[in-house]
Amino acid sequence: MQKIKKSERFVWIDIMLTLLAIEVMQYFYYGIRVVVLSGVCAFVSFVAEIVSLNLVNRDFTADDLTCISDALIISLMLPAVIDFRIVAIACVFAVIVVKNIFGGRDNMIFSPSAAAYIFMLVSWKNQVLMFTEPHVRTGISEKAENLVSSASHVFNTSGRMNYSDFEILMGNMRGAGGAVSILLLIVSAVILILRRDISFGAFLGTIFGTAFLAYCIPVCRSKYDSVKYMLVSNMILFAAVYIISDKRIAPRKNYYAFFYGFFIAMFSYILLLKTEKENIIIIVSVFFTPVSLAFRNFEKNIEFSETEGV
Amino acid sequence: MFIIDGIILLLTSNLILTQALGTSTLFIAAESRKKLLGTALTITFFTTAGSAAAYFINNLMTEKFKNLTLLFYTLTIGLLYMIILILLYFTGKEKFRDIRKYVHISAFNCAVMGTLFTVTETAKFYPERNNINDFMLSGLQAGAGFLITAFILTAAYKRLTSSDVPASFRGFPAMLVYLGIISMAVYALK
Amino acid sequence: MNRKNSVFDGLLNDNTVLSSFMVISPIIICGDTLRNAVALIYAFSAITFLSVMFGSFVPQKLPYALKIIIYAVISSLVYIPVRLAAEQFFPDIIPRIGIYFMLLAVNSLITVQTEAKFYRMKRGRMILSLIFYIVGFDTVMLITASVRELLAYGTVYDRIVDADILISGLGKPFGGFIFLGLFCGVYRKIRFMANHLKGAN
Repeated sequence: MQKIKKSERFVWIDIMLTLLAIEVMQYFYYGIRVVVLSGVCAFVSFVAEIVSLNLVNRDFTADDLTCISDALIISLMLPAVIDFRIVAIACVFAVIVVKNIFGGRDNMIFSPSAAAYIFMLVSWKNQVLMFTEPHVRTGISEKAENLVSSASHVFNTSGRMNYSDFEILMGNMRGAGGAVSILLLIVSAVILILRRDISFGAFLGTIFGTAFLAYCIPVCRSKYDSVKYMLVSNMILFAAVYIISDKRIAPRKNYYAFFYGFFIAMFSYILLLKTEKENIIIIVSVFFTPVSLAFRNFEKNIEFSETEGV
Repeated sequence: MFIIDGIILLLTSNLILTQALGTSTLFIAAESRKKLLGTALTITFFTTAGSAAAYFINNLMTEKFKNLTLLFYTLTIGLLYMIILILLYFTGKEKFRDIRKYVHISAFNCAVMGTLFTVTETAKFYPERNNINDFMLSGLQAGAGFLITAFILTAAYKRLTSSDVPASFRGFPAMLVYLGIISMAVYALK
Repeated sequence: MNRKNSVFDGLLNDNTVLSSFMVISPIIICGDTLRNAVALIYAFSAITFLSVMFGSFVPQKLPYALKIIIYAVISSLVYIPVRLAAEQFFPDIIPRIGIYFMLLAVNSLITVQTEAKFYRMKRGRMILSLIFYIVGFDTVMLITASVRELLAYGTVYDRIVDADILISGLGKPFGGFIFLGLFCGVYRKIRFMANHLKGAN
């Protein structure tokens, strides 16, 4: 039991390190406001976690620090210029409503970050989907001007991506800070997979599913461009690493996790073609939670019947 | 593609997730998988047959008597309720004892009556859908939607009622929040 | 003591919404503003009270299924004058409440609780108990609607209040689900604490 707990903490440290690397990258693009935004998220989540655990008479342990990684994931899905009060409400929602009401980390049902993101999306859509250009630095208390739509929105509506491959890799394009840092996301994915911190099956299923459909039903004239742009837009890579492959949510066995990721990718792609909605994969990932739970129940039943057989 | 379209349609027009119709019935039925399936199938029968009857009632009734709509719908569901119970009784007493509880739960509730009113409202907005086929299809769709929501709830049922959930939220409150988050995702999909 | 407890049950211990999870759809969908709430409270109270009272004259010897149908028919008939009166008192609200007004006529308090609870009591006690069950629903409806209206729209009974940030999602159906779930949890927590205190005393 002690060993399992320790490994949970190591997973958290690994995920935190990759998130902090993305955070540093964002500091260069958007300035101090990104850091303050993440700080607000982390602080509010931490306080909400302590208060809610206290209310249900549970002790706060190092394993409960996952609330901070969830908070950083939330902050990296948002524009740097978003109102701090909105993210504070979203973090409280993530910790209390999405996580601790269901029993906290021992009984995770939804990804707190994904559910909190959708909550913000349906309550403050304009604030969540309007961004400043990269290299435009906004002060902590300043109100941002000249907000623009994300590169994903332009791609979804026009099928065009007006950025060079180098800009895409470096994250020098309009959009949520964390979601556009493609090179860092690839490096993070490799590290987290090698260290077995995320579900490889779910990650592979999501990437393969998106690439497969983008190739079969291309959104651009070139199939290669279709695959490339689909993978780097709409938070696909970010969601594949930090939300869909979250080991607390995804099916345990890679075989089932692959199909879980694949189905999410398939639904997201088709819905994206139909609705042109930005970052739809996050919505679909929450909607597929019952599927993941069903897979997990199925795995348990198989394990049980195997042990009974022995 | 066709299957995915169908699932998306069932989700976005789901009466429980979008209009909270039949939530109480879902919670009563969620106690066991057998009960849930039985209730879902019986509700599907009521919504489909009831919608067909609603089509005829709507077309026979003049605007002057519109306040009697509820009474006629209630009588229709009551008639269906009696017919299904009589049929079950003559099929076999044991079967009757097993199945009648699903019929009792399924007859008079918001899921069934709500479907009849929703189908009627839709036909008012889209006159091209004012035909028996569309009415029955909508009734069937409402039943299938109940079945999907039943699956969604069953998948998490053990976790929502487990001892890990704080005592004050265990069971129904956790189920409401769970359905709320799924409903939020459906709302965002629209 | 026993009599007193049973009469007040519907208000707290056995609240229609928070304990028995009945009649929750109107609260989730229409309980987002106080204006809707007032109209629904009127409709629910009038339809439920009159239907249960008239239903109590139905012979108890009849088969269960037949009695349920008769109760539903009675409430459908009661609905007609209640609706006509509502069109006079709340002309703007009726279209907003839509089908939920009609659905109140087949609410579980009439079709299920009558047989399980009310008709097993003596008439005087039944009336008192029924009133508290209705008040229990009304209270939950009022609290839910006032909090949701304030947080989602920044108004109280359509009057604008000085709210810095609005959570529009709370006014949506999913907001209703989540709010009601939280409300039920808080209500249970308070009940646990009250019972604990009673036990300690």
